[in-house]
Amino acid sequence: MERNRSSSDVLRATCWGLLVAALLIAGIYIGSRGLRDFDPALVPYAGASVFAAFGIGYRYSMWLQRPPTRMYWFRGWQVFLRPSRIPGNIVRWIKLLLKEILAQNFIRNRSRVRWASHWFISWGCLLAAAITFPLSFGWVRFETARNSQEIYDAYVFGIHLSSFRLGTPMALLAFNVLDIAAVMVLIGLFFAVWRRARDRSALAEQQFSQDLLPLVMLFAICITGLLLTVSTHLLRGAHYLFLAELHAVAVILTLVYLPFGKFFHLFQRPAQLGVDFYKHEGATGTRALCVRCGQDYASLMHIDDLKQVEAQLGIRYRLKDGTHYQNVCPACRRKNLGLTQDALWHAAGRGPVEPPQPEVLSAQKGA
Amino acid sequence: MARPPLPIPELVHSYGPHAMRVPAGGWNTIGEPDKLVKTHCCFCGQQCGIQLKVKDNKVVGLEPWEDFPFNQGKLCPKGVKRYMQNEHIDRLTTPLENAGAGAGFRPISWDAALDRTVGEIRRIQQSYGNDAFAILTGASLTNEKAYLMGKFARVAVRTANIDYNGRLCMVSAGAASKKIFGIDRSANPWSDIPKAKVVIVAGSNIAECSPITTEYLWQARENGAKLIVLDPRMTPIARTCDLFIPVRSGGDIGVFNGILHIMVKRGWIARDFIAAHTIGWAEVEKSLEKYTPEYSAKLAGVPAQMIIEAAEMWGPAPTSFLMHARGIEHHSKGVQNCMAAINLVLASGRIGREGCGYAMITGQGNGQGAREQGQKCEQLPGMRDIENPEHRKYIAGVWGVPEESIPHKGLSAVPLVEAIHAGKIKGLLLLCFNPMVSLPNQQFIGEALEKLEYFAVIDFFMSETARYADVVLPGSLMEEDEGTTTSVEGRVIHHQKAVDPPPGAREDWRIICDVAKRLGAGEKFSFSSPREIFEELRVASRGGISDYYGISWERIDQEKGVFWPCPSADHPGTPRLYENGRFAHPDGKAHFQVVEWRPAAEEPDEQYPIVLTTGRVVSQFLSGTQTRRIGALLDQYPEPRCEIHPRLAEKLGIKNDDFVTVESRRGALTVRAMVVKTIRPDTVFVPYHWPSERAANNCTIRAIDPISNIPEFKICAVRVSKAQRPTNAMAALAAEAGGIS
Amino acid sequence: MSDLAFFIDYSRCIGCQSCVQACGECDTHRGRPLIHLEIVQRADSVQTTPQVCMHCEDPICARVCPADAIKQTPDGVTQSSLKERCIGCSNCVMACPFGVPRYYADINQMVKCDMCYDRTSTGKKPMCATVCPSQALCFTTLEDIQKKRRGTTIREWTFGDEHVKTKVFVVVPAETNTVHIDQLRRSVSPTSAGAKPRDLYDVAELLEA
Repeated sequence: MERNRSSSDVLRATCWGLLVAALLIAGIYIGSRGLRDFDPALVPYAGASVFAAFGIGYRYSMWLQRPPTRMYWFRGWQVFLRPSRIPGNIVRWIKLLLKEILAQNFIRNRSRVRWASHWFISWGCLLAAAITFPLSFGWVRFETARNSQEIYDAYVFGIHLSSFRLGTPMALLAFNVLDIAAVMVLIGLFFAVWRRARDRSALAEQQFSQDLLPLVMLFAICITGLLLTVSTHLLRGAHYLFLAELHAVAVILTLVYLPFGKFFHLFQRPAQLGVDFYKHEGATGTRALCVRCGQDYASLMHIDDLKQVEAQLGIRYRLKDGTHYQNVCPACRRKNLGLTQDALWHAAGRGPVEPPQPEVLSAQKGA
Repeated sequence: MARPPLPIPELVHSYGPHAMRVPAGGWNTIGEPDKLVKTHCCFCGQQCGIQLKVKDNKVVGLEPWEDFPFNQGKLCPKGVKRYMQNEHIDRLTTPLENAGAGAGFRPISWDAALDRTVGEIRRIQQSYGNDAFAILTGASLTNEKAYLMGKFARVAVRTANIDYNGRLCMVSAGAASKKIFGIDRSANPWSDIPKAKVVIVAGSNIAECSPITTEYLWQARENGAKLIVLDPRMTPIARTCDLFIPVRSGGDIGVFNGILHIMVKRGWIARDFIAAHTIGWAEVEKSLEKYTPEYSAKLAGVPAQMIIEAAEMWGPAPTSFLMHARGIEHHSKGVQNCMAAINLVLASGRIGREGCGYAMITGQGNGQGAREQGQKCEQLPGMRDIENPEHRKYIAGVWGVPEESIPHKGLSAVPLVEAIHAGKIKGLLLLCFNPMVSLPNQQFIGEALEKLEYFAVIDFFMSETARYADVVLPGSLMEEDEGTTTSVEGRVIHHQKAVDPPPGAREDWRIICDVAKRLGAGEKFSFSSPREIFEELRVASRGGISDYYGISWERIDQEKGVFWPCPSADHPGTPRLYENGRFAHPDGKAHFQVVEWRPAAEEPDEQYPIVLTTGRVVSQFLSGTQTRRIGALLDQYPEPRCEIHPRLAEKLGIKNDDFVTVESRRGALTVRAMVVKTIRPDTVFVPYHWPSERAANNCTIRAIDPISNIPEFKICAVRVSKAQRPTNAMAALAAEAGGIS
Repeated sequence: MSDLAFFIDYSRCIGCQSCVQACGECDTHRGRPLIHLEIVQRADSVQTTPQVCMHCEDPICARVCPADAIKQTPDGVTQSSLKERCIGCSNCVMACPFGVPRYYADINQMVKCDMCYDRTSTGKKPMCATVCPSQALCFTTLEDIQKKRRGTTIREWTFGDEHVKTKVFVVVPAETNTVHIDQLRRSVSPTSAGAKPRDLYDVAELLEA
C-alpha cells in the first residue's frame, strides 16, 4: 500500500529522522550536564535509543506524508485548536485520555483477556520506559548522600530532587520499580499467550513476526532483567555480567525493532484522539446526505476531505451521469451494484417476460 | 378443566418464549469442540445434513456438512441457528402440574405426573368409553416416535382417536398422489430437477419455505430450463422466473386445467403413454372442454395469455418437473388442486424417468416419514389402511394383539378438536403439536381445550398450547435423541444423538413407554432404545407401501440415506418411483381423476371483501415454539406483518407501517401493514407463526377438504382497516410472545 | 486457498439471510456478521443483494486508510483492519466502491469480510458461500463454475473512471467483460417494452391483460 513513494519523500523522512536523532543527542548532552551525569556503562542503551529515535522520526514522517494521514493530522489539530472550542476540547481530551489510553475501554469491548493482556503489557512497558530512558540518558541519577550511606539522593538534570533512606518504602519502590514493571509485563504476556494458544480465531490469524515475535522480545527483556535482581539478591552476583549482557542485547534489539514492527503503534495510536475530535466536530456540523436515498450517512466535512484525499491518490470517482460516487452512501452502493448486475441479466433475457428497454440499462456490455 | 392457570403475560414471564441470542458458553472460540455430530436440521422436510459442534454435553455451534448429497453444506437461516435451541433458558426440566386459577404451574415428580396421567386416562375411558381419550401428535417426530405413537394409541390406550399435525400439512398432496399414482411420496429425487427443461412450481414460496431447493431450480435454469411459478405473491423465485402467474388463491385448477385444455387442442398429449400406462383419460379429456383459456383465466384470476404462455412452455417440453406445496394444498379442495397438477404431469407422459417428474414439497421436519408409520387416524404402519382386514391382521400379528382389539378409523385433527368442543372427547394427550398457533379459528380451539377434563402435553418448551395443560411433561429435542426421519425425497436418514437431555427431561419415547407400562401394556413397550423401535417398525412396514424392511441404520449411515420402498437388505432402495410406467395401483396403472373447480368455503363478499392468505417466513418454523426462541431468527422478522398492495392500501387509507386490523367472521388480529406491489391487490398475506393477537389463524376458517381433511388456511374472507397501535397487555409482550416491538 | 475462488451472482439472491446468520458463526467473527445483505426496495420488489468483500487487487480502503491498518495476505485477501493500528476514522467505510467495511463504535475498529480467513486458510470454504441456498454466493473452482453456469465470470469493474480489479468474481451474461457503474439506478423495477410500459414487478399491472 506504500504507493508512489518518491525519493523526495524518503529524503524528507530521512531528514526528519536525523533531526529527531540529533535532538535526542543534544538532549542527552544537555540533560546530563555535558555528559557529567552520563553513565558510560549505559552507552549501548543510549546508542540504540538514538537509532530508534532516527527510525521513529523517519517512519513517522513517511506515515504523515500519506495523503489520508496528512489530512487527518492537519484536520485533527485544526479542530482541536479552534479557539472557541479549546476549553471544551481540553476537558474532552482529558476524558479521552482516561478512557481510551489509561483504561483502554475499547480493547475491553473486543475481549476481556485481550484487554487484560494489553493493559498490563502497555503500562508495564511505559513504567519501565519512564525509568530506564532518563537513567540511560543521564537525566536522572541516584547517589548516596555525602553524609550517610543510608541515605540516597535523587537528581534530575543534575538538580537534587529528593532524598530517601534505605529500607523505607520509597527506597524499596525506587530500587524495585523495574522489577514491578517486569512482573506487570509478564502478567500481560501470560494472558496474551493464554489467549493466543487457545483461541481458534487467534490461532488462525496470528503471524510469528507480527504477533509472536514482539511477545518473545518483551519476555526476554523481563526475564533477563528479573534474573539480574535474582543474581544480586540471591546468588551474590553470580553470572551478573553475563546476564547484564544478555539483557542489554534483548533491550537493544527491541529498540532497533521499535520503529519498524508492531510496537510502532505506540506512536500512531494517539491519532485516535485526533480522529475522535474530528468525528465530534463532524457529528455536530453539516451532514452529508446520500444522493440516491437522501439519508444522512456521514459528516459533510468527512466526505469533502475524503474527496480531496482521493484526488491526491488518483482515485477517480466521477460517474458518467455526473454523480460523484463519493456522494452515494455505502448501502446505496451495494444496492446499485445488485441492480446493475440484475439488469444485465434482464437484458440478456433471464427473468420475466419482456426484457427492459435497452436505454434503461446503464451497465453497458463490453469494455 | 384445562385452562391457563395464570394470565398469559405471567406465564410468558416464567416460561417464555424468551429469545436467546448468545450460544451456550457465549461467543467463545477457545479450544476445539469435543465432537462434530453428523445429523440433520430439524426445521422442515428438506432435512438438510448438518454437523453440530458439541462441547461438554452442550451444542455450541455448527459446521456445514458438505458431503451430504441433498444440500451439500447449504443451509437456510433456521439451519444455521438451529443449534441455539439447545441449552435454552426456557427449557422445561421438570414435570409441571396446573395448580389452578391464580396458582400457576408447580413442579411435580415424574411418578406423580405419570400416575396422574394414567389415572385420568382410565377414569375418562371408564366413564365415557375408550375413544373419549384422544391423542394428537406431530409430523416433526422421528419415524420411531411416530410408529410408537400409533401403536401406543391402538395397543396401550386403545383409542381410535389419534391424529397428527401433518393433517395441516401433507394430506392433500398425499391423498391426490395416492389416488392417481397409488403412493403417497414425491415421485422423484431432487437430482432430477436440474435435468428438466421446464419446471412448474405451484403454491410454493421455495425461497422461504424450502430454500435449499432454490439451487436445484437454478441448476435447471442454467441448463436452459424455463421456470413457471404460480403464487398470489411475487416471491423471490418468482421475481426472476420466466413466467410468473399471480394466480388468485384457490384459482389453481383454472391454470392446470387451462394448460391441459390447450395441450389437448395443440396435440401435446402423450397418447401412447396414456394408453399403455393409465386409465381414466377419456373422462378427463371430456371434462377439459369447458376449460378454455378465457374460462380458465377467469377462475385463476389472471390474463388468459399467461395460461397460453405456460402451456406453450410446458406442453412440448422434452423433460419436465412439477412441484407444489401448501399454496395449492391448504384448501377445502386441496386434493382436487393437487390432482389437477398431477393430471398435467401424467398427460405429458413425463414421469418415472430421468429429468421427468413430480414432487410435493413436505413442510414439517418429518413430514414424509411421520405420515407413514400409523399415527394417522385412518392408518396403520407401512401406510396401511386401518379398515383393510388384511392390513389389520398383519399389524395385529406384529404387535401380538388380537385383530379385533385394534380400534377402527378415528377422527382427524380438526374434527377431533370439534369433538372436544362438543364434549364427546374428554381427555387429550398431545405431543409435538401447538394447535394454539397452528389450527384455524383460534378462538374455537381455545374454547375446545378449556372443555377437556384432562389434558397432558409432552413438550420441551411451554408452548402456547401447553399453557392449557393439566400436566406438562418435559420431553426431548431432536439432538437429544436418536432416530430416523424421511426427507422430502423419500430418503430415510439418521438423526444422531448429539447430547443427553438435561437432567429432569426425558426422551419422548421413554415417556410414552412409561405411560404404556402403567396402563398395563408394558410387555408391548419394552423398548430400550429407538433402534429397537426401528427394528419393529421395519417389520411392521414390510409388504406395505412404505416398505422399510431392507433398511438398517448402518445402511443409512453408509449410503447417506436409503429411499423407500426398500423391501430387502439387498434392495438398493427406490429414489425414483414409477419407472417404465409402472404405477402402484394393483392394476399397475395410473388413474387419471376428473377435476372440476369449485369455490372456496368462504369467498370474499361485500362484508368481507378481501382474501386473506397465510404462509411462512424463512426465519420461522411452524408454530414458532422453537424458532421464536432463537433471537437471531426472530430479529430477522420479529413480528407478523400484513402484506397489502398499494392500490388496496390507498383505497383503505393505509400507509406502510400503519397498524391494521385484519378481521374475519371468526376473529381478528392487529399488525403493521407492509405496503408492497408484490401481492395481488385483492389479497392480503399474514404469516402464521405467532400466537394470540398476532395469530393469523384467528381469522382462518375451520373448513376442511372432504377427502384429506386439511384445513383451508390459504383462503378466507376478511376486511382490513387502519388501526391504532394496540396498547393492551398482550401487545406489551415481546414480539416472540405475540407482542408488538 | 488453492484454485478455489469466490463467485457472486447477485440476481440469484433470495434474501433468506443464511449468509448473514452463518457469517456470525465464523470463528473470526464471533456473532458479529460482516457480510451485507440489502433489501433493495421492498415496497417495489423482493429483490435483495448480498455483498462480501471483493478483495480488490489494489484496495481503495487500504489506500485511504490514514493508519495504514489494512493489509492483504500474500494470497490477496484484504483483511480486517489491524487491531493495534485502526483508529476508527471510517475512511475505508466511506471510500470502498462496494460498500463493504463496517465500523463498530464499541470496539472502535473497522472490521470487514475477510473471506473467513480462519476457514479458507485451512482449506475450508467461507461460511456464507457454503450455506447460501441459492448459491448467489459460491466458492468453487473457475472450471466448475464455467461448467455449471451460463454467462461468464469477470472481475473487472469501473466506477466512473476508476478501474477496479477484484479477486472475487461476478457472474454476468456472456460477452460482458467489465461491469460499468456509470449511473445510479433509482428504480428497482424493470419496465416492459410494450406500447404501454408496465412495471414488471407490480402484480397489479401484470394482471392487467
